[in-house]
Amino acid sequence: MLSAGLILFLAALQGVTELFPVSSLGHAVVVPPLIGLNFQESSPAFVPVLAVLHLGTAGALLFLYRRDWVRIVVGFFRAAVQGRIDGPDQRLAIMLIVGSVPAGIVGFLLQDPLKSLFADPRAASAFLIVNGGILFAAEMFRRRDERRRAVAGAPVLAHEEDDPAYERIEGLSLRTTVIVGFFQAGALLPGISRSGITMAAGLVAGLRHEEAARFSFLLATPIILAAGLFELPDLGSDAPTLLVAIAAAALAGLVAYASARFLLRYLRSGRLDPFAYYCAALGVAGLVFIR
Amino acid sequence: MRGSRPLALALLALAVIFALATVFFFTQKTSFLASGKPELHWKHAIVFLVLTLLAVVAANFARPKPARA
Repeated sequence: MLSAGLILFLAALQGVTELFPVSSLGHAVVVPPLIGLNFQESSPAFVPVLAVLHLGTAGALLFLYRRDWVRIVVGFFRAAVQGRIDGPDQRLAIMLIVGSVPAGIVGFLLQDPLKSLFADPRAASAFLIVNGGILFAAEMFRRRDERRRAVAGAPVLAHEEDDPAYERIEGLSLRTTVIVGFFQAGALLPGISRSGITMAAGLVAGLRHEEAARFSFLLATPIILAAGLFELPDLGSDAPTLLVAIAAAALAGLVAYASARFLLRYLRSGRLDPFAYYCAALGVAGLVFIR
Repeated sequence: MRGSRPLALALLALAVIFALATVFFFTQKTSFLASGKPELHWKHAIVFLVLTLLAVVAANFARPKPARA
């Protein structure tokens, strides 16, 4: 049985780390043993509790992009009935479906072996280092691209927002979206960040940093919501009380909302490599200090 | 995008298979595609229901359509 205090701690941790490209699941598995909390990742309540927290995060994302989601849902139904894509909203809706299906299927088929990894903080630590490498590589690709453009004589603007060389989400091809969707499936491993891997793929595909984050958040919402709803019935007898569960989901949602707003503002001028260094450092600390 | 009748038919056939899987998982106790003892797997059923709907939508996209004026 997880204590109420520990669940609220996990809620705050999950809220901060779910949308930052640092793997919330990796943090939930690595941080408690690293700071000496009395905690069993193999507890049957662990994954369902995380799922409740995911509902809070999904709620925050739905609220953050509420206008987008209304357009996306309407766009999906119109496109589905017409059998063709007319306009950016319908295109975005189909892209989100196409990008979500690979991770959904892989996650569903491999859920049991993946759950066993949740109990292994050292494996999660190793995956955190891999996650750092992915973020670092994506930034390296982007910088190389910027240098090439500068050498070719293209104007290098201070903000990507003004730069026509970098795309908005709607400019991505469906094929790229499918590839990003398969990358997202890799984030089912604890330590590999869903937002990180999709932002990295978005950057490599030519999105602006802020758009890569928006794409990542929109793509993550259906998966996070579905994971939360699917695990909810498994709370069972090890469940926290309803009040604790609601408080934890609300806390995770509030913190996730604040984190998303911060991250979107940060990525107008900032880059992913600070998160890469952080993931690598936490992973190394986990491997060294967790026995 | 030009439509393809064979692709649309293949996607419809896939939708039928997914629909049968939906009914199977909603009604039969099984351990097929699942671990543990045989039981009703309503989560599997919901996943296959969603896949059925997506396959129908994909078939609608794939079918040849009259050119727009």
